[in-house]
Amino acid sequence: MQRPVVSIEDVVVTYRSKRRHTALTSVQGMSLEIGAGEFVGLVGESGSGKSTLANAILRLLTGGGEVERGRISFNGQDLLALSEDALRAVRWQDIAVVLQSSMNALNPVATVRSQFRDVIRAHRRSSWSEQQVDAEISRLLSLVKIDPKYASAYPHELSGGMKQRVAIALALVLDPRLVIMDEPTTGLDVIIEHEILTDLRELQRERGFAVLLISHDLGTILEVADRVLVAYAGRIVEDRPAEALLNHPLHPYTRALLDCYADPGADQVRITYIPGQPPNMAALPPGCPFWPRCAEAEERCKQGRVPPPTVLESGGMAACHHAAAEVAAVDSARISGAVYVKSSTNPNVNREPVITVSDVSKTYHRERRPVVALRGVSLSLPRGTVTALVGGSGSGKSTLARLITGMERPDRGTIRFDGQDIPRLGRRGLHAYRQHVQMVFQDPFAALNPMNTVGYTLIRPFVNYGRMSSAEAFDRVRQLLEQVGLTPAEAFFGKHTGELSGGQAQRVVVAKALAADPDVLVADEPISMLDVSIRAGILRLLDDLRTQRGFTLLYITHDLLSARLLADQVIVLDRGEIVEQGLASDVIRSPQHEYTRLLLRSIPNPRRRMLPPKAQVSH
Amino acid sequence: MRYLIKRLAFLLFTLWLAVTLNFLIPRLMPGNPAQIMVQKLVGEGPVNPQLVRAVGIMLGLPRGTLWHQYGLYVYNLLHGNFGVSYTYFPYPVMTVIAQALPWTLILLGTTTIITFILGTALGALAASRRGTWFDTTATITANFTATFPFFWTALMALYVLGFVLHWFPQSGGYDAAMMPQWSATFVLSAVYHSVLPALVIVVTGTGGWLFGMRNNMIHVLGEDYVRLAMAKGLPRREIALAYGARNAILPNLTGFAMSLGTLVGGSILVETVFSYPGMGYLLFNAVGNSDYPLMQTIFLFITIGTLIANFVADILYGVLDPRTRRGGVSA
Amino acid sequence: MRAVVASLVSSFGLLWSNWRARLGLVMVGGFIVIAILAPWLAPYSPTSQAFGRMLPPSAAHLLGTTQLGQDVFSQLIWGARTSLLVGAAAGGLVTLIAIVIGLLSGFLQGWVDDVLMLLTNVALVIPGFPLMIVLSAYIPVHGVGVIIIVLSVTGWAWGARVLRSQMISLRSRDYVASAEFSGESVLRIVFREILPNMTSLIAASFMGAAMGAILGEAGLEFLGFGNPQVVSWGTMLYWAENSSALIAGQWAWIFAPGLALALLGVGIAFINFGIDIISNPKLEA
Repeated sequence: MQRPVVSIEDVVVTYRSKRRHTALTSVQGMSLEIGAGEFVGLVGESGSGKSTLANAILRLLTGGGEVERGRISFNGQDLLALSEDALRAVRWQDIAVVLQSSMNALNPVATVRSQFRDVIRAHRRSSWSEQQVDAEISRLLSLVKIDPKYASAYPHELSGGMKQRVAIALALVLDPRLVIMDEPTTGLDVIIEHEILTDLRELQRERGFAVLLISHDLGTILEVADRVLVAYAGRIVEDRPAEALLNHPLHPYTRALLDCYADPGADQVRITYIPGQPPNMAALPPGCPFWPRCAEAEERCKQGRVPPPTVLESGGMAACHHAAAEVAAVDSARISGAVYVKSSTNPNVNREPVITVSDVSKTYHRERRPVVALRGVSLSLPRGTVTALVGGSGSGKSTLARLITGMERPDRGTIRFDGQDIPRLGRRGLHAYRQHVQMVFQDPFAALNPMNTVGYTLIRPFVNYGRMSSAEAFDRVRQLLEQVGLTPAEAFFGKHTGELSGGQAQRVVVAKALAADPDVLVADEPISMLDVSIRAGILRLLDDLRTQRGFTLLYITHDLLSARLLADQVIVLDRGEIVEQGLASDVIRSPQHEYTRLLLRSIPNPRRRMLPPKAQVSH
Repeated sequence: MRYLIKRLAFLLFTLWLAVTLNFLIPRLMPGNPAQIMVQKLVGEGPVNPQLVRAVGIMLGLPRGTLWHQYGLYVYNLLHGNFGVSYTYFPYPVMTVIAQALPWTLILLGTTTIITFILGTALGALAASRRGTWFDTTATITANFTATFPFFWTALMALYVLGFVLHWFPQSGGYDAAMMPQWSATFVLSAVYHSVLPALVIVVTGTGGWLFGMRNNMIHVLGEDYVRLAMAKGLPRREIALAYGARNAILPNLTGFAMSLGTLVGGSILVETVFSYPGMGYLLFNAVGNSDYPLMQTIFLFITIGTLIANFVADILYGVLDPRTRRGGVSA
Repeated sequence: MRAVVASLVSSFGLLWSNWRARLGLVMVGGFIVIAILAPWLAPYSPTSQAFGRMLPPSAAHLLGTTQLGQDVFSQLIWGARTSLLVGAAAGGLVTLIAIVIGLLSGFLQGWVDDVLMLLTNVALVIPGFPLMIVLSAYIPVHGVGVIIIVLSVTGWAWGARVLRSQMISLRSRDYVASAEFSGESVLRIVFREILPNMTSLIAASFMGAAMGAILGEAGLEFLGFGNPQVVSWGTMLYWAENSSALIAGQWAWIFAPGLALALLGVGIAFINFGIDIISNPKLEA
């Protein structure tokens, strides 16, 4: 590595709340270096401390966070010791950032142009004339593929993807040495996310700035980064060149994360998932923080101090007792959690349909402008099968879910269930219908009332639909909790939503949907808000429950890998129209429509690295 | 543009409603003004119905169907004819009001602008120096002053600054020995007399704006765009103004109606305490003398003034928020 | 109901943990105790005219006597009852109207919402205090009850508006849709799922409305538009002003009821400050 642009040594960050008298150390001693022009990826799940670290570099910590220890140096000067004025000179001039949820990163009352101008002015690039400044803004916008005419637009006039591109252009305006990007594409459409990252990688290569890209998604990071750091429970557990990490992951956590990915087009798709929950920073176990979820944990892992980083001869670092030994083993056996395998099968999708949707259209009116969500969509859900409805954002897939569950009515078309036309049902009819058709929501924390306990939430469907007393329902709720893997059930009864992890909360949501004993379950992106390591567990749960109980599942997703794992039938939706449908294995393995292929290409896939142009030529 | 039309439509609607409400209140309320007046003259005891009728005619009380009365009322209103004041008989109400209106317009207009600017600025400052002694002092002081009853603050100011210290005159809008005229000495006297009432309104009225602005600003300072502005290395002042205050002032304008209502109510009390020759004091006297035409017209004028001030605040909001310029969703 | 109680209890704990709110609770609690114990705390009857007129403060009459020879200190203690009664009753009524209109408007949406919102916006821009004055001028009976009704009719708009926007935001939450999937009735969704999430906002509106009502009542009575025979802080100030108490050097007669009003107001404002912090943790300082 060349001389590092930024070097971070043993940084510890603690959040303190005065009112609650609590202190949470979310970064527990991270060290890393970023070389000039290097593209470094930092991957981690919730609670890994990755965003905190990113914010600590430019001293942008909020919410009572403070760097307790360590050194962050840029070009030899300690950023933590700089005066406010000296730090201001470093900010943006040398290190720029693209924030997480950049949706809200632009000042809503200022034009795009003025948000470029104020930073240019603040750093006294006064030798530039007005025209030069404007020309530079236009050039930067073109660079990120935004029409320069949008310089005079206000943020609310841009789409999410455009805002993100503007945020990237803004980061480059002073030609910084390093750009820190904190989940820059989270929440965007998969295809747009892929485009932006591809363009970013190209830009970075042309202009030679270094990047620290932070993401929860190892697939994304491996596609673009030169070097990958894996964070877990506030520490870096592995730090290696991307190729090496991909081919010989050393830390069991890294290996387990890699095994969450697979090629959806393969004959046999096999992913594994990591048992347990992401770390609770308020109560870490002694020893290695990963041991409760690690298949290779030994006695020495479970006690004493955290395994120290082992510097590897082949370059890089891993913080695991096994690491040093395993460098030699070229093809170590990969074991972690339970395995989830899906082979090509020929499911029977010719059974009689439970729900038939015919020629349904829906248009929304947003600020007096019509937005067509669905255009003449027809489909049927064969009894006892899994149908995956796949599409990007704006494809209309969630609208279809809302129509099928009776939450909204279509402008045109019919939706038939058991001889009734759902859009025509009144309040009473819908009440009866919902006993048969239940919904699993995207964000479990939004779908559970923060004021209610798990027990109350689960008892209600039994009381309402099963006409049981609370006491009778109690037993059923216990069985249900056990069925969705929340054991011991008694421990979860009195818990409020805030006391659950994401995976647990989503299991409660699934349990609640099943409490009504429905014929059809509609699951709207049930795993997209969850940590990567627990996603497969929820998928597996849905699959198992379906086999046991025989309900029909409509699984809505943007992700073809999970569709392949779960579904018998796949329907691809683009801009409100069905563009392709058929057996899951057929559609995904040999897609006919260009949009399906685009979706497939956009899935983060660690095994498809965006290789430098030179390397591609030599192939 | 659509936003402007919407606000204008709302203004016209509320104006019409205020006019109609003003028409309906006396008719929906129990009792008859002439009766009440006669009762006042007679004191306890039986009232002669004929006398009541006679007084009614003398006062020009309306007769005929409700619709007819309404038409006549609107017609008169449009011609600036609000009837005759009972107390200042035979002067028309309009003449009486014309003398009081400028005093209130100037006093309340100036103090509204001062309290808004002062409260907003102090609130922004408190939020951007959150947790410092300035913030604590400002919020605790405002906690007290904003809950002081207007009239009590006025009485205290009157006692200490007027009665004990003799720094300011104790009552009136100008020196009693002078005649209202456009001369330097008169204007000076008027300003001197208005300092104390204005001071009371400002001291009591600023707190509301301060709290509103401080809370909005704290909220805004936690937004991502402010964090990005810090990352950009912009000077602290610029972040506080161009990013923080510029965004936080918008909700403060939405809350304008409530704070203005407090000020208008407060100014009536303050005018009464200082016997200030404005609309509030006039209203107080009109009610005390059962001068219904005068009272109702004053209420109408105060309402119209408030509606227009709110309209101006709405327009200002529209100008400051680019999101209302196109489409326009906020109410 | 149990969830509401539980949330109230935990909210109270949070309130208590903020020093300003704690001070506010102690202050308002103190006034409540004084109001309840007035017959035992007050040295004399507040209406007894058995003493010398316009006496200055002394050991027998801590705050002096009125122009009719009544004990000011006893009136001050009894006056707490009126202010608290008006605050609680008008605050409660205002909050009730605001809840009904705000929830209805926010939950039903459509034309009902349009109509109710127009009504609310109108009520918001029409200046309340002058309207109170005009209304009280027309109503032949004067008294605390009338004032409470007038205050309620003129004071609900702001609360309704705030509750409506909260309702709209909560209504679109997934857990509300989720409750529909659990087969809950509309009433149960509104009162069991949504309302408990609004407690701090409702408490804040109640406090704000109570404070507005207390100040409004005092203002009306000070102007003489209430019933001057009732013993309250507002009427005390009315009589003091009409008897030129300041010029006569009876400063305690004016100072004390005003200070009592201010302290009660500050206490309520402090409580609201704490509620604000609970409902918006960003404000925590």
